[in-house]
Order: sequence, then C-alpha cells, then structure tokens
Amino acid sequence: MEKIKPRNFFDRMQALDRRYIYLVVALSIILPLIIPFNSKTYVTEPTENVYKKIDSYAGRKDRAILMCFSHDASTMAELFPMEVAILRHCFERKIPVFTICFMPAAKPLMDYAIMTAKEDYNVQSGIDYLSFGYKPYGLFLPILLGMGDDISEAVETDDQGRKIDSLPIMKEIRNYNEMNLVIDFAASAAVYSWIIYARAKFGVNVAAGITAVMAADNYPYLQTGQLTGMLSGLKGAAEYEKLVDIFATHRDENGNIASREFSKEILKETWIKLSDIQDRRYKTARIGMNAQTVAHVMIIVFILLGNVGYFVTRKKDIEPTG
Amino acid sequence: MSFELISNTIAAILTLCIFSFLYKDNPFYKFAESLFIGVSMGYAIPLVYENAFIPFVWTPIFVEHRLIILIPTIMGIFYIFRFTKNLSWLSRFPIVFGMAIVGMGVPMSIHGSVLVQMRSAMLPLDNINTVLIFIGTVTILMYFFFSKEHKGLYGKITNVGVWFMMIGFGASFGYTVMARISLLIGRIQFLVGDWLGLIK
Repeated sequence: MEKIKPRNFFDRMQALDRRYIYLVVALSIILPLIIPFNSKTYVTEPTENVYKKIDSYAGRKDRAILMCFSHDASTMAELFPMEVAILRHCFERKIPVFTICFMPAAKPLMDYAIMTAKEDYNVQSGIDYLSFGYKPYGLFLPILLGMGDDISEAVETDDQGRKIDSLPIMKEIRNYNEMNLVIDFAASAAVYSWIIYARAKFGVNVAAGITAVMAADNYPYLQTGQLTGMLSGLKGAAEYEKLVDIFATHRDENGNIASREFSKEILKETWIKLSDIQDRRYKTARIGMNAQTVAHVMIIVFILLGNVGYFVTRKKDIEPTG
Repeated sequence: MSFELISNTIAAILTLCIFSFLYKDNPFYKFAESLFIGVSMGYAIPLVYENAFIPFVWTPIFVEHRLIILIPTIMGIFYIFRFTKNLSWLSRFPIVFGMAIVGMGVPMSIHGSVLVQMRSAMLPLDNINTVLIFIGTVTILMYFFFSKEHKGLYGKITNVGVWFMMIGFGASFGYTVMARISLLIGRIQFLVGDWLGLIK
C-alpha cells in the first residue's frame, strides 16, 4: 500500500485555496486605507514633464490644453485622480483648458471630473474652461484633423450646444498652434491616434494619462520624444497630486495661495504629510499608493513563497524514496 | 437619508455583488453584471441619438434640406444589413470607406512607429542606455529572423534577445499587477471611504 507523504508547510501552501489569498490581499489594501501612513512618492521625469509643460502656459490666454477622456468607469480608479489633479492645476494657474470625449461612457466621468475640480475655484464655462462634450467616435478623425486648421469649425458646438467661436475662451485660440498640448486619458491605445495624426501632421505636443497596463507599450513613444510626458496609473496620479500641492497650490505663512514655479530643489526638500491635506479628493491617489505599497509587498511574498514551495516539492519528488 | 447616501449604498451593494464572484459564481453577480450592461446601453443609446443622429442626420436632412447627407446616411444604414442573410453584402460598402481611413493612417503610422523609432535607436553609443538599446534591438531582430536556425553562435545571440524580451514581459506584467491592484484599491476606497466613511 502506498504511503501518503507527510504534508509540510510548502505542500500546504501549494494547495492553499485561492480565496485565502484574496482575503489577505483585501486586508492588505483595507488596513493601510483605514490606518494611513506617509509612503514617499518619488516624482518621475515623465510626470514632471507634463507638469512643466502645462505650467508653462500659466496666465496666458493664447495657450490652452485639451484633455481627451477616452475611458469608462472601469479604469476610473487610476485615471480620475490624475484628471482632477490636472484640472486643479489649470484652474489654479489660470490655464485655459478644453475637454472632449468620443465614448458615451466617458461623458459622465468628464463632467464629474470638472465638477470635482472646480468646486474650490471661481471658474466659468466658456471663459476659463470649456467642455466640447461628447462627440460620436465616427467624428474622431475629422475633429482631430480639423482642429489643426480651426477648432471652432471642427468642433462647432460645446457641451451646452453653444457655438464655440463666440465664447470668450476662444478669443485668442484658433488651432493647435495655440491649443498646443493634448493629454489623452485612456486605458487603450487611444493616445496612439493623437501621436500619429496630431503630432506627426501638426507637431502638437501630446501627453498621455494612461493605466499602468498600457505604460510599457507607451514607453517607446516617450523615449523617442513623441510623447511630451506620461502619467502611468495610480503612481502617476499620486506624483501629479504631489506636484500640484507643492507648486500650484502652495500656500505662504499666512495660508494664502502663493503658486511657485517648478524647481527640483524645492521638490527634493518638501515633505507633505497626507494628514495635513484636509480634502480627501485631492489625495486620493496618494492614499491609494499606501495600499498599493503594502499589496505589492504581499504579492512579492506570495511569489517568493510559491517559487520556494515549487522548488522544494519538486526536489522532494525527484529524490528517490529509500 | 441624503441622495448621496442612497446612491452610494446602491453602488456599494452592486460592488459587493460583483465581488461575490471571487467566492463563486452566483445569481447576485449575474444580476449586477446584467444590470451594468443594460444601464450602459440605456445610457449610450439616447446620448448617441442626441449627439449623432439629430445633429448629423435629422437636422441636415429634414431641417436644413441638405439632401447630399442622404448618401452617407444610406451608407450607414447598409451596416445594419450585416444581420440579414441575403443583403449582408451591402454592408461591405461602408466597410470599404472605413478601410480607406485605415489606409490614410498607414504612412503616418510608419512615421511614428517605425521611422522615428529607428532614428531613436541609431544614437551614438556613448552611454549605457544607448548601448543596451542597441544590443536589445539587434538581438531581438535577429531572434525574429527565422530563415536561419537558432543554433551555435547565432543561437547564443538570439538567446540574449530572448532575455531582453523576458525583461520586457516582466515589466509589462509588473505594470499589469499594479493596474489591477489599483482598480481594487479604487473600489475599496469607495466602499471604505465614500460609503462607510472610515478613511480620513
């Protein structure tokens, strides 16, 4: 009769019900969210470049950025915080900003992002910002190419059905020469269309706010300079939130807003305690990164345990039983 | 009970219904999944009708009497014949126009994805990054050259390409894990923070 091998720790780990792993992952996310700590957010160069580019338009009426929302609610966790952070940056530094989407499901997210960001600012649609609204995807290329000549002809009406050429925000903005930065927020290869059409044909600066899944695919475009900058996933959003807090919404000793220019030295020296930021909407990504840190450690531990277990049990199987 | 609390509670219950799939497939999960598909379609149809059909079909033809718009409209209707057995061939006409647009993108794609990438790979080998890019590009290209058997010295060189690709796949996988965890974090932030109010 065959003897049953004694089950050691690794045997048990190999046969562990996957639902226990789900439970541990859930706990490793829930606990850091409830008991927050200050994990350090290092700002990477692609994020810095997006921030610097947008900030270079501060206070100018003849420069604007276009934010294209190309995602639905399934990737909101990663992309929404970066959209809010960029809108806050624009509202704070008086940078004209346009928004557009070509997916029906992106429309409510676009409206929600604008609503969330503008709560603390006295900004008006048509003057400080403008939502072009939802446009059918069939018009994506005609609009993308048409904006190279004349935005008001290509887009015609805004979110509220107003003719955009009569709006104050359009006074000094005609085409990509003025609206010189396009940021596409996507969980897909949507940014690629902006690179190959808008960038190649009109030389417009293109940046990407993308989910982490898409980041590796977009690095070649970043490395070749076809992307001005890139925010990758929740980490990119956390980095941008930090930059906005340190520079755009910086406060002086009296608590008044005193925006300042980007500086590597200031960035290096400044330490922001998350508990000092009262509004949770403005630190969503950074709180999330706390949980991300713990979850990653857990996953690394699982991978190590799984591999050690695999090799131990394999070695045992190969060894001849006396 | 405020509207926000009611809407958050409904969203939280539906989120938990979806999460219940992690335990095993069940009717709550199926209900939430079907509801999501129905709501998405219900939301999209009037939005497209309002933003596409009315301004680009109805108004030009019936209000402005620009009858030339009938041509693209009929072309668009041809798509629907895809579902019929005898007339499905009509759907090929709008597809042809779609392909023409794809054709327009070819030279620009070649520019962005091939020519500019090649130019950036042909940099002076004066730092470790450019050296790595050079070795990676050449060895991977050699790996995908299947007219020569991967044996001997050639096999060893292509093996280097395999290592470069493995590192690339590892980076992609790492990013994928990060993305999936981020999505879970987003939902848990909603449940624990917006719904239960436990995040300060």
